[in-house]
Amino acid sequence: MSRAGLSSLLPLAVAIPLAAAAISPLAARLSRRAPLVLSALALAATGGLLAVMAPTVYGGRILSHFMGHWLPIGGHALGIAFAADAWGITFALATAFLGLLLVVYTLSELGDLGRRELGGYSCLFLLLCAALIGAALTADLFNLFVWFEVAALASYALTAFFLERPIALEAAFKILVLTTIASFAIFIGAALIYADHGALNFGQIHRALAGHLRPADLVALALLIGGFATKAGLVPFHGWLPDAHTAAPGPISALFSGLMVNLGVVAIGRIVLDVYTPAVGHHVLGLLMVLGLISAVGGALFALFQDDLKRLLAYDTISQMGVLVVGLATATVGGVAGAGYHLIDHALFKALLFLCAGSIVHMTGATKLSEMGGFGRRSPLLAAAFTVGALAIAGIPPLNGYVSLGLIHDALRSTGQAVPFAVMLVAQVLTIAALGKATWQAFYRRLPAGVEHERDERLHPGMVVTLAVLATGCVAFGVFPTFVLDHLAAVAAGVLLHPAAYAHGVLAQGGAVPSMPVPFDYTYWSDILVVGCTVVAAVPVAMAGMRWAGTRPVVALRRVQTGSVNDYAAYLVVGLLTAVLVLAGTALR
Amino acid sequence: MIVVNYLAAAALFATGLYAVLTKRNLIKIVMGLSLMEGSTYLFLISLAYRAKSTAPVLLSPPGHLGPRALAHGNVADPVLQNFCLTAIVIGVAVTGVFLAVTVRIVQHYKTLDADRVRDLRG
Amino acid sequence: MPNAEPSTPAAATRDAGSRPRPLEDHEPSHRRPLGLVLAAGAALLLGAAVWAIPREHAPLPAVAHEALRVALPTWHILEPVNEVVYGTRGFDTFGETFLLLAAVVGVVVITRGREARRGYIGEEEAGARERRQDDPPSRSGRAATEAKEGEAEEEGRGRGPATPDAEPLGTPAPERAEGMTVVVRGAVRVISPVLAVAGLYLAAWGYSPGGGFPAGAVIVGVVLLAYVSLGYKRIERVVRPGIIEPIELAGATAIVALGVFGLVFKGSFSANFLPLGQPETIPSGGILQLFSGSELIEVATGLTIAIFGLLGMGHEWSDDTDEAQGEGAGEGDGDGTGGSR
Repeated sequence: MSRAGLSSLLPLAVAIPLAAAAISPLAARLSRRAPLVLSALALAATGGLLAVMAPTVYGGRILSHFMGHWLPIGGHALGIAFAADAWGITFALATAFLGLLLVVYTLSELGDLGRRELGGYSCLFLLLCAALIGAALTADLFNLFVWFEVAALASYALTAFFLERPIALEAAFKILVLTTIASFAIFIGAALIYADHGALNFGQIHRALAGHLRPADLVALALLIGGFATKAGLVPFHGWLPDAHTAAPGPISALFSGLMVNLGVVAIGRIVLDVYTPAVGHHVLGLLMVLGLISAVGGALFALFQDDLKRLLAYDTISQMGVLVVGLATATVGGVAGAGYHLIDHALFKALLFLCAGSIVHMTGATKLSEMGGFGRRSPLLAAAFTVGALAIAGIPPLNGYVSLGLIHDALRSTGQAVPFAVMLVAQVLTIAALGKATWQAFYRRLPAGVEHERDERLHPGMVVTLAVLATGCVAFGVFPTFVLDHLAAVAAGVLLHPAAYAHGVLAQGGAVPSMPVPFDYTYWSDILVVGCTVVAAVPVAMAGMRWAGTRPVVALRRVQTGSVNDYAAYLVVGLLTAVLVLAGTALR
Repeated sequence: MIVVNYLAAAALFATGLYAVLTKRNLIKIVMGLSLMEGSTYLFLISLAYRAKSTAPVLLSPPGHLGPRALAHGNVADPVLQNFCLTAIVIGVAVTGVFLAVTVRIVQHYKTLDADRVRDLRG
Repeated sequence: MPNAEPSTPAAATRDAGSRPRPLEDHEPSHRRPLGLVLAAGAALLLGAAVWAIPREHAPLPAVAHEALRVALPTWHILEPVNEVVYGTRGFDTFGETFLLLAAVVGVVVITRGREARRGYIGEEEAGARERRQDDPPSRSGRAATEAKEGEAEEEGRGRGPATPDAEPLGTPAPERAEGMTVVVRGAVRVISPVLAVAGLYLAAWGYSPGGGFPAGAVIVGVVLLAYVSLGYKRIERVVRPGIIEPIELAGATAIVALGVFGLVFKGSFSANFLPLGQPETIPSGGILQLFSGSELIEVATGLTIAIFGLLGMGHEWSDDTDEAQGEGAGEGDGDGTGGSR
């Protein structure tokens, strides 16, 4: 099929899940599981469609299509463009296939819920997946905002799904308030860019910004970064994330942590590296680096002292998003390719961990680590899956975390950024300690005296299959990094680091981007040394974390996350204003 | 004067933001967010305005200009007005979900005080 | 106001690691000045951003200019905003439709009633435990009793008369009728068809300002007028989720189908594949008119479902001890929360 024909099929990747979402509540009238089966089929079809386009895109081309044949006139884009490039299509493929796995998991774990509940669940699930795919593939700023909003609205009701848990509704309120403020920020930012340059297409904005960067553009950039950082859960925009990921059902937490937060990072990468670079210079990269480092350390530190298993994993998501943004902020081949690789890896291992945690809640009703123990003996499959996930986060070879973290660490060292590298190591130690503590407490120690579990159900076959596929994915992406690096990550890095080629490709309905080779030596002594040292250092940290959990300084630290929505909104606004001042200050220099 | 519009939009936005940041009543927080929404509508419509232009309605235009002439002349920006329409729909949708969640919270916690609805913290 | 502290010593020690402190009773004093500073800072930021951008004396951006110059004649219509909303930037409106669908389905999910579930659901156990710890016991008191009576009458279980005209003259306040007086009802009966036609007119004549969204809002307004004046019991027989939900989903599916047909027939998603009529007539916009009409259906039915779902919320998910559990099964009758399945 010709490239133009192939690119005209791009909107179908969004239209198929949306059509299935519109039919799901009706399918619920047929049978309980019909909506979920329909969702699985729709996501499989979308994944297949994207897989058909993947070879062309990963071969170094951008497939671009203007809706309704509204082609640009004289460099001014009249219509809305969808552009499949390596960075976006990676995220879209991850959404489609991970979404499919999560639907299979839901079918087997939650398949006995009420009929209308499941109809609504699968409708919202599909809408969220469709919105994530749409945001990944779009090349238009306002279209990105619209898909961001669709994802946000679908996520609110999914957070509050189990209405019998009061914390689900509290979490829904917090995610509502914070994401709504973020959406205002993005909206005003988009309006400012349009008012300043009259352009909404990414390629057109890139060219318009090239000559003259005005203060309004910098304010708009800060607002856009702030808004998408809220979605990504970076500190200080993170207030909603621990609550929402704790209270949502298990597969939904996996979807949130594995895919939805990545939307923010994908959008930040696109806007900062493909639209605003090189007009804006290095200060925005410095801002991103600081944001990423604070999130990496802060998230891991808070994770260490958590008692609720899902809340611990949610704080770890904050930390991993910080790592991703640090990788993007290095703006080198290794860093950006590492960020893209870590995107996939995080989706895999975080989904695995959250599904395990969710199934513990579902099977026994236990949510707190202090009440768990001995699952290793009762459910060895679950223990194995969780251990694989924890090892992957720790970055131990041959699992996938080793490659992506190694790439990002190497990028920091090769650009001579010693302080960020040290901070990242601290964050890594804390992360390993937190996850190690969780694994030991939940699975490998005996049940504490006096705690009884009400029920004990076995894992259903669908759940086992999903966990096995995810664990295999973790291993596979760790054992065969060369394939991924040479064919996928290299092109994704090429797209992000060649903004002019991206802009041309979008406006001219197709273009080529150079693929940048990513050097990675699996047995590089420095990476292995880092892994060894962090694992060894994490053991005393984990023990200290368990012993100091109730002490005064830790309690004071945890009171920063006050639980009040007013305070979280205040943190968000402080973050926004700081970003604006930092970026606008660079204009005065 | 168009500057008044911008000042009003900024003042409304600040008022709504103040309500979200300081009020403890859940409904007041929702109202603060609605105020912020309203201010963005005003902001956008003001951005769309062009001096001495007319509304982007080409049917029976004022004065002696025909529709074709008007299309080449000054009308207010229809793309920003499209944004505003989208934002209005978003606002309606979000407010609806907000109110449903608030009623459920009150059913559980028996209070509208945001400082009492704080079981997830730390 | 009841405090949400853990009540038993065992729970307190168990929660020591996870719950740092019990809730405080006074408001933290930092909020007001901080809120003032941040709000003022945000306003200044907006003002500063607007200061430097080209404003009313700048020419129209090229995108808008081209939309007027090129796109309007292509569609044979004269309404730039409709053309931008449904034509050139129709993909945004496409996304927005599903945004509204997400919100409506979200409200339905949040306001749903309890359904039969099979098997053991661990979250129910966790939820019950959290409710025991967190939810304070039901308040009884005048305010709560009045609120419950008011809700009962809303749902048609009250003992009040159907309309104020059915009460004898001189009955003391407050009125407990469901509907309104004969004047209001008569006026609403007369004006509703006019308003409904006005709404449809807004959507049908695509070459004048209007379009699907305001038309849908007008239709919802008509439904709400009827609800307010006639009372819940008489409206729920007409506004049934069994009929309205499929219509809404059909509207959403039609919008997807319009785009896909454009792809199939004309090679691009949401391209126009219908013949364009003469300007200033109803069929002048090709698929713009169909898009606008489907939006009308989707918005009107969706908002109706959402509003009636909100109105019919029951208390089944929280432990309201004053409410008998058996009543919980019968609540939320026939308004979108699973009663009449």
